[in-house]
Amino acid sequence: MMSARNFPKRMLLPSVLLAALIIIPFSAPLITAEDPIKIAVRYRLAAPDLQHWLGRDEFGRDRLARVLHGGQVSLTVAFVATTIAFIIGTFFGLIGAYFRGPSEFITSRLSDIVLCFPPILLALLVVTLFGPGAGTLVAVLSVLYFPTFARITFSEALRVTSLDFVEASRALGTPSRRIVLGTILPNIAGPLSVQYSLTAAAAITIESGLSFLGLGVVPPAPSWGQMIRGARQFMNQDPLGIMIPCAALVLTIYAINFFCDRLRDTLDPKGASGSGMDEVSKPLALADAPAIRDPNVVAVINKLRLETTRFGTPAAVIEDVSLTLRANECTALVGESGSGKSLSSLALMGLLPGAIRQASGTLQLRRKTGEVVDLGFLDARTLENIRGNDIAMIFQEPMTSLNPIHKISDQMIEAIQAHRPMSKSDARAHAIQLLKRVGMNDAERRIDSYPDQMSGGMRQRVMIGMALTCEPRLLIADEPTTALDVTIQAEIIELLQTLRQDQGNGLSLLFITHNLGVVADIADRVAVMYSGQIVEEGPANQILRDPHHPYTRALIESMPSSHEGLHSTDGDRLPAISGTPPLPSARPSGCAFRDRCPIAMPTCAEIRPVLYPSADGERAVRCLRAPEAPAGLMKNHQTEAA
Amino acid sequence: MTAAPLLDVQNLEKSYSIGRTGLFSKRSLKVLHDVSFSVAPGEVLGLVGESGSGKSTIGRAILRLIDSQSDVMRFGGQDLNSISTVQMRSLRKEMQIIFQDPYASLNPRKTIRAVLSEALDAHGLHKGAARGPRLIELVTLVGLDPSFLDRRPHEFSGGQRQRIGIARALAVEPSFIVCDEAVSALDVSIQAQILNLLADLRAKTGVSLLFISHDLSVVRYISDRVMVLYLGRVMEVGPADQVHFSPKHPYTAALVSAEPSLHRESRRIRLTGEIPSPLALPSGCIFRSRCPYAQPACAETVPPLQTAGDQHQSACLRTDIL
Ligand SMILES: Nc1ncnc2c1ncn2[C@@H]1O[C@H](COP(=O)(O)OP(=O)(O)OP(=O)(O)O)[C@@H](O)[C@H]1O
Ligand code: SF4
Ligand code: SF4
Ligand SMILES: [Mg+2]
Repeated sequence: MMSARNFPKRMLLPSVLLAALIIIPFSAPLITAEDPIKIAVRYRLAAPDLQHWLGRDEFGRDRLARVLHGGQVSLTVAFVATTIAFIIGTFFGLIGAYFRGPSEFITSRLSDIVLCFPPILLALLVVTLFGPGAGTLVAVLSVLYFPTFARITFSEALRVTSLDFVEASRALGTPSRRIVLGTILPNIAGPLSVQYSLTAAAAITIESGLSFLGLGVVPPAPSWGQMIRGARQFMNQDPLGIMIPCAALVLTIYAINFFCDRLRDTLDPKGASGSGMDEVSKPLALADAPAIRDPNVVAVINKLRLETTRFGTPAAVIEDVSLTLRANECTALVGESGSGKSLSSLALMGLLPGAIRQASGTLQLRRKTGEVVDLGFLDARTLENIRGNDIAMIFQEPMTSLNPIHKISDQMIEAIQAHRPMSKSDARAHAIQLLKRVGMNDAERRIDSYPDQMSGGMRQRVMIGMALTCEPRLLIADEPTTALDVTIQAEIIELLQTLRQDQGNGLSLLFITHNLGVVADIADRVAVMYSGQIVEEGPANQILRDPHHPYTRALIESMPSSHEGLHSTDGDRLPAISGTPPLPSARPSGCAFRDRCPIAMPTCAEIRPVLYPSADGERAVRCLRAPEAPAGLMKNHQTEAA
Repeated sequence: MTAAPLLDVQNLEKSYSIGRTGLFSKRSLKVLHDVSFSVAPGEVLGLVGESGSGKSTIGRAILRLIDSQSDVMRFGGQDLNSISTVQMRSLRKEMQIIFQDPYASLNPRKTIRAVLSEALDAHGLHKGAARGPRLIELVTLVGLDPSFLDRRPHEFSGGQRQRIGIARALAVEPSFIVCDEAVSALDVSIQAQILNLLADLRAKTGVSLLFISHDLSVVRYISDRVMVLYLGRVMEVGPADQVHFSPKHPYTAALVSAEPSLHRESRRIRLTGEIPSPLALPSGCIFRSRCPYAQPACAETVPPLQTAGDQHQSACLRTDIL
């Protein structure tokens, strides 16, 4: 499977450690010539010397030989039992999950029955019936552990089986055996390998435990449990005796766990999960920005630049983004996935992911008190206070932001009380009022339902209601209607429209979407983003009617709804732009849109366009060939170059 | 479209059992009621409806990925209701599926070469020396570079993955493909590329498509005919442009008018109320609880599909409104 050449580096240490722990006990004859069961009472509890490195035990037997030979027994019992349990359990789990029906019944019932027995009781029962010994131990441990494997395999396989690629294999007519072994099994290898490690470790412990009780390996044969059992009586005189087998146990268990953890990461096709991606990094402000004068302006993003070092060298994920958000106005941020829409808004919330750093630019906010703050200079507590009080946010999938196990009422009351000191009944009354405001009929009754008893549209209304708890000045909505049906989407847009027109102290709405039709419905102003930059900005109706940037034009043109006359069967094709947006680390020189732009000129590779404002200052475009671009920019440059 | 249909489905029904009421009796949830339609060779039938209306269920029932009941289900002259498992396996070569989520539809552990080879292996196609050229042909057909063959899915963008999913479906040269929201997860500029690709492939290979989507404009552009589904029942079916521009059913009209559009002239038709739970469906017309034109009679009879124009049918009792 894995050739030596691409043996992953991070597997090296755990593999060596584990291999050592397995090889060393089995190469006991090479290490010491002593016989582990030869008794020499004369030397009982003798201290270590050159011949007997670890000294001797209560019967004068060589401890080194015993711990090594004992390791052979302990490891063999544990691994053989775990492997048997793994094979049987995985087999039942896979069969149950893939074929469902009766086999599912057998798998789950059988496992349930075995899991009902307390493990030690089961072990005692079997040992009493068959007598102690290594063989019995293996049998007991396999029976004990196979249900756990069956269960994990079952639930994991059930999850994978419902994924599209398994369905695709079935649709292709691939035989069941090949789907189960070739597709499902490798995809559940991660959790299974972790379970294997946990089980092997537990088996070693139980083996020792049973041997300690005298129910496992029969004396005088050595095993770690036996050694602990023997040394326990002389613990006070001779602590070394008990420390040696315990250390061997701990070390082995640690090595197995370490190995399996790394193995799971390696088996993950995407490699180990990125480090520290989910921490919140603190934005840092580099420059003082002029204070906002206009009282209607709620927030200003000025020349924001966000960087990541994910690609080796620092690359700008957001570059030169400026936005002014006004009260009672809706600004739409549009662009394709990865263009930086969500990051720009997270920066406003002070919630940038840890791997992203604010390199320059300012983020200013006018709080409800009228005070203007620079979000980059605030400490975590003030930011927390601002979130919810001055800025609120709603997301695409309301189900993931609502806790499914609590009633809506409880979640809303908690959210309200977190920001406003009031009694529970007042908070509930306030919550009902909020729900009514977001258009929920029968709010008094429905507030006591659970999230999954509501439709997606209703859940989104709840989220909006919760966002309005403290009358924020700025509401950021990140694709709030994308997961909803068109009829429901229309209702939510209407609701957001009314909210922004109503609110006394002037709500500003930042609406993030990839759907230009939605922009036409809701936005006053629109900013189009491409590869981390705003490429066109201005009044929504102007820009949608008469886009000046080739990218905005392409976006509008590639929507089938812009072409009511075109039909694929008549041989018509949609005017699509070729290619895909570049990664932040691989933006072309000059204009970032250059390699997809249908009207690019050689100059576009040399000059990096900035946002050129129109004469009336209403709109701006980042294109050298736009009407707003300074006249002669192209010509001058060409003569310069000539 | 007078040729014998490639696919003919009559009275398709599907129920899921949801929990038990007693020891032996199970509660069931009927998600498809009496769905009948046909697809001609080379035809694209669009399927639209809100989430939970049963679009995906229809696609999976035809491919026999889930069990269902129907009076007739014939594909290319074969009766799918009585076909043996062995025959079904070889018939799978003729019917394929492209999924919505380009991230979930490819096995993250397999290279693109392995993904496409699995398709060919399943039917013993292009073995040995013919394999390599065929794989290159396939990726080129969907507009990808042959050097992509030895990479894994996580190295690709959503649009590229969707192309790979299309290549997998095309590998066995099917005559029918179910496209379940095949472009819905893509950004508009990529979506247009994939739509054009599907239109080209259809023109080139004559494959029939069942094109499932909740986006009416996309469906109108790509389909010959469109079928509108509401809570598992067919509301309207007819030529794409007719259904879109002059819908005959109040539900279709509401859907079309709710679509966000850059230039809206007509007023939006507001639907009141929520989609009823599939466990408590209204009597008579299933759309009654949200229909702005509902009358007392609508609670009495289940409206049958009636002719409403050339090849155009609608299931509404009131013929006086649209
Ligand atoms: N395995 C299942 N068990 C129970 N009910 C199911 C199951 N799969 C689907 N359903 C139900 O069947 C109905 C139709 O589902 P289906 O997935 O076909 O809808 P859809 O039209 O494709 O929706 P979407 O646009 O959200 O994909 C829904 O009510 C759904 O909840
Ligand atoms: S600057 Fe040049 S490449 Fe960029 S959008 Fe304008 S014309 Fe196209
Ligand atoms: S039958 Fe009645 S309720 Fe149903 S769509 Fe027609 S008018 Fe509306
Ligand atoms: Mg679906």
